[in-house]
Amino acid sequence: MAAAAAADAALAVRDLAKRYGDTDALRGVSFDVAAGEIFGILGPNGAGKTTTIECILGLRHPDGGSITIAGIDAMREPRRVKQIVGAQLQSTALQEKITPREALTLFASFYGNAIKPNELITRFSLGEKADAPFDSLSGGQRQRLALALAFVNDPAVVFLDEPTAALDPQVRRELHREIRQIKSAGRTVVLSTHYIDEAHQLCDRIAIIDRGRVVAVGQPDELVAASKTPARIVIRTSKPLDASRLREIVPSSVLREHAGEWHISSNEVTRTVTAIVSMVDGNELLDLQIHRPTLEDVYLELTGTPFGPSE
Amino acid sequence: MTAGLWQHFRLTLRLNLRSPRALVYGYIVPIFFLLAFGSVFRSGVPPLMREMGQLITISTLGGACFGMPTALVAERERGVWRRYRLLPVSLGGLVAGTMLARFLIIASAAVMQIALARGIYGTPFPAHPLQLLIAFTFVAFAFLGLGLVIAALADNVPAVQALGQAIFLPMIMIGGVGVPLRSLPAWAQQVAGFFPGRYAVESLQPCFNGNGLHHATFGLIALTIIGLAACVAGAKLFRWDAGSHVSRASWAWVAVAVCAGFAVGFTARSTGHLRPVPNLAGPLAGEPYESITEAQINSITFTDLNADDDTVTPLAHSLDSLSDEDRQRLANIRAKLDAWPPAHDGPDAQRVRNILSVAAIADYTQDPLEGQIARVVFDRLQADFDKELLTRILTWIILHPEQGAAITSAPELDLQGRVNEDVLRDRAMLYAKKLLGRLVGKIVD
Repeated sequence: MAAAAAADAALAVRDLAKRYGDTDALRGVSFDVAAGEIFGILGPNGAGKTTTIECILGLRHPDGGSITIAGIDAMREPRRVKQIVGAQLQSTALQEKITPREALTLFASFYGNAIKPNELITRFSLGEKADAPFDSLSGGQRQRLALALAFVNDPAVVFLDEPTAALDPQVRRELHREIRQIKSAGRTVVLSTHYIDEAHQLCDRIAIIDRGRVVAVGQPDELVAASKTPARIVIRTSKPLDASRLREIVPSSVLREHAGEWHISSNEVTRTVTAIVSMVDGNELLDLQIHRPTLEDVYLELTGTPFGPSE
Repeated sequence: MTAGLWQHFRLTLRLNLRSPRALVYGYIVPIFFLLAFGSVFRSGVPPLMREMGQLITISTLGGACFGMPTALVAERERGVWRRYRLLPVSLGGLVAGTMLARFLIIASAAVMQIALARGIYGTPFPAHPLQLLIAFTFVAFAFLGLGLVIAALADNVPAVQALGQAIFLPMIMIGGVGVPLRSLPAWAQQVAGFFPGRYAVESLQPCFNGNGLHHATFGLIALTIIGLAACVAGAKLFRWDAGSHVSRASWAWVAVAVCAGFAVGFTARSTGHLRPVPNLAGPLAGEPYESITEAQINSITFTDLNADDDTVTPLAHSLDSLSDEDRQRLANIRAKLDAWPPAHDGPDAQRVRNILSVAAIADYTQDPLEGQIARVVFDRLQADFDKELLTRILTWIILHPEQGAAITSAPELDLQGRVNEDVLRDRAMLYAKKLLGRLVGKIVD
């Protein structure tokens, strides 16, 4: 069954293992990526995200496991896989004096089904700098060139390793738009990212990796829905609420009063809110906020680490 | 994919021409070397002609062992090669393109040096340009292989400089590349046999002012072995990523490259290719054989010569009536003499003296075929040299027996024993007389 699923998937990773000396960087990483989906990989520093992508791309030799891309065994036929895969690595740098047009022409010349460099120059808004040396490009232009290079062979599966790292919000938004276009063109995208909101917005599904293991895989909303982290309800009234009465009507919730507000953690949001509102009778309800768990909460719950800059 | 490799090759060349640093290393430094050589060797006749092999070798060494690895390591540090690794192309193809581009860069610098040497110092163009191209290809191959090893071992660009100097300086100082072999002590000349620089110079130089590649077979083979071993080691040690390191097991490939140098050195030693190269200050600094006059030739007397069937300086009248065993041995000696470097390398006067030494050694060591060997030597000299030229050189040797270098043993020619140098010079002079007498018709066989 799993084998059949792997054959159908755009990418199937099974029991991927990698050791660096005495350290297990990957300890049986497994996940599938369906054709046409955007799949995110999240994890704290040193979790193994980049190592996973590098093993898939053949930049590192795994110590165990299997990788299948579009039905091709990537470890046995790396050259064949490279024909159908595109990749944008972290901090891709080219020669100082090479121009985007030259780089695209060079990379395109290695593929039989390459997209014309001029087409990529237009698509990735590089026209203005098409004939400028690489060392004169801005960070955003370099990232766009790296993306253009990833698409030079019109790949079936694209790997983007932290594509928006160190970019300003405007450029990041542009790249998000580009990545969505990639998906709409029917391509499969696998990305790791610094930004949890980016993962939530862009990805159809995500895998959370922690200490070399996949600790969760699913749609962002599913993961949030399955979270055991309680929702947080904040209520403020014109007159103080009766604490003992409050504890009586929502006995399973955690309550805390702070600066005239009650903060209530509850796994039964509807029942808790209904009960609280019913006891407010005769009092004025000034504010009522419901904070449901976010992907960040899920991440903290699964990894025990607050989300921060990734590896 | 072929189109990709072609694009990569062209782009490597183009980027090189855009880099000021590459231009300085590729063209300005070779000009500097030319001027440095010119200031030291311009008094030669013709100027610089005897040093062009060294000059081209230095430029090739610089381009291959500094220029190429510096570019490769700088690209690796930037992550260029890591990105190349994702392309559906073999390492061999990319590296071959890089090496080929560097070959053209070095070759263009060599052509520039030859043209500038002609323009500035009047150095003649090479006597055998096509053979020079062949020799240069072998030399560049060997040095580019070493450059590949340096690129693989160096973690960063400064490390390239350090490793490059570790190869460059020994070859310059004691490898016969910077300081001519003839000016080095005997031990250094032996050490030079373990470096490719010596073979590079020995292959290139005869293409400028010698017999071309006729007798450079050993040098070309040596360069091929060293280059092949270095290329294989460089490919095995190659690092796509600046973050990766050379594993302990991989160091075995460094040993392979080093062993190739040792294998070549020991083979050269055992086959007589590391024979000390004489300092030829005599013939060039004193009266040159070219200035020998008819009067000087006519002044030579032959009355002091021993008879040809005497025990001193015997000379067989013919090579007939030999036993099969002797005939076979003589054929072997003749064949070895054909490939004997001292018979081919260096100025004509020294070559004649070297060949005469063979007869002198056979004579003094009382070789059973001493007279026949002397006859083989005479035949050889008459075949190799124009009669008029040989007449002048023999006269010059007779008048200046103390000049030039003396070869006092030749085990590689199957001649046993060693001869005192003074005795050898005396016997060689006597044989010179015997041959001169025959050339000028004063001695009849």
